[in-house]
Amino acid sequence: MKSNLCLILIMALATMGCSAAKKNAADKTAPVVAENAPESSPDDEFGLLEDELDEQQIKISDPLRPFNKAMFNVNDKLYLWVIDPFARGCKRVVPEPARVSIRHFFNNIAAPARFVNCHLQGKHKAAGRELHRFAYNTTFGILGFSDPARTKLGLEPAEEDLGQTLAKYGAGTGIYIVLPVLGPSNARDAIGMIGDQFLNPVRYVRPRDVSIAISASRIANENTFRIGEYKSLKDASYDPYVAMRQAYLQYRDKKVKE
Amino acid sequence: MKNLCYILLILLLAAAAFAAGQDQTDEPDEIQAADQAPPADPNDPNNILLEKYDVVIKDPNDPNEILWAKWNAVVRVLQSKDMEKKVKESLIDRIVTPIFDFPLMAKLVLGRKHWPNFSPPQREKFTKLFTRKLKDSYREKISHYTDEKASVKPLRKKNTTVIIPMNLISQGKEIAIIYKLRKIGKTWKIYDVEIQGVSILLTYRSQFDDVLAGSSVEDLLERLEKPAAP
Repeated sequence: MKSNLCLILIMALATMGCSAAKKNAADKTAPVVAENAPESSPDDEFGLLEDELDEQQIKISDPLRPFNKAMFNVNDKLYLWVIDPFARGCKRVVPEPARVSIRHFFNNIAAPARFVNCHLQGKHKAAGRELHRFAYNTTFGILGFSDPARTKLGLEPAEEDLGQTLAKYGAGTGIYIVLPVLGPSNARDAIGMIGDQFLNPVRYVRPRDVSIAISASRIANENTFRIGEYKSLKDASYDPYVAMRQAYLQYRDKKVKE
Repeated sequence: MKNLCYILLILLLAAAAFAAGQDQTDEPDEIQAADQAPPADPNDPNNILLEKYDVVIKDPNDPNEILWAKWNAVVRVLQSKDMEKKVKESLIDRIVTPIFDFPLMAKLVLGRKHWPNFSPPQREKFTKLFTRKLKDSYREKISHYTDEKASVKPLRKKNTTVIIPMNLISQGKEIAIIYKLRKIGKTWKIYDVEIQGVSILLTYRSQFDDVLAGSSVEDLLERLEKPAAP
């Protein structure tokens, strides 16, 4: 019953994503304002810079806004009252080198998902690099607790995920969604995240409680590096919900284009 | 004798009042400060510090050099141990203010959709408030600096502007920053910054769009005047 419900939800989101994608494509054929004015007056230059910004502007579809806003507020409190104090505690108790090692470990076991997505996006060179990194870090990096592939061989990880793969095959971002705990996302990336889970080794750890505990410790550890970041974003903005939405969509847009 | 004392006292007070008045007129308001560096007063301890930490840019035509020199000056201030936080902040403010084009940022963030709807006094007020917000947020962000290694990459030209990518390595993670600069007179000024692909201007623009879709310009200005929600 539960899985059926999930399936329906996914299908619904997918169709929404497709329709939104079509809409985006239609919007792109907007009239182009005259460009390339050499020796421009201040007003022309303003127009030129405007066009440049408009190019970067991302169309936002947020029909679930009331739900999203409520979820945003829940996540906000969850972060400020639970995750942030916990992360601060961890930071005090666990020294930085240990936390960086844990970070490397979780990064390393996510290599299979990156490897597959690199291939799916046709980036075979990057896929090879991921494989090389995985083999090297798992052995010489002692189960991935350090990252000699980067420091010694200069191999950078390829940050590819299923959301980006779907984008490569033409999926639009779809509607904006704020997920519980995980925060801002969109239809495409949420589906991508579910897909990537199948390549996440932690998911197959049994009993399930242990698997969840491992995932939780990954999130906690990751957050020890981000103390203050969320508050900084909130302080810098007038409307944190809108700022976060814009920042997330721009961030993902950049990742997809890379 | 007593009268002489009174006269002297009055003269002294008058001189003090005059000096204070001059000080006040010397103090530029924020919008002006964004345009030009405040006049240098050799006796102001802040200026002595500024001279010590800020850099003379050899070639104001080279945007890469401006950015790199300013960044290093800011890092030097952050790493110095014998200064109070307040002094550091005001010093950093004075180092970086000349290379940001705040009035243009304010104009661009509203864009051609909203800027024409603002009356000149409203524009001025908005510019002032937005500049304050940008400065506050910059100060807050730079206070998190620990020992990140930075490297500036070669610039790319685009129409009348240049783009300078910069990389920060922080605790094993790379952060990509892009500065967008425009030439004004003889020097270059920043009008937008992208951090990990997120443009500051677009992030603010989406918020102003959102507010202006439902309420008036005056409402927006009123909202900007309030300090951030706790």
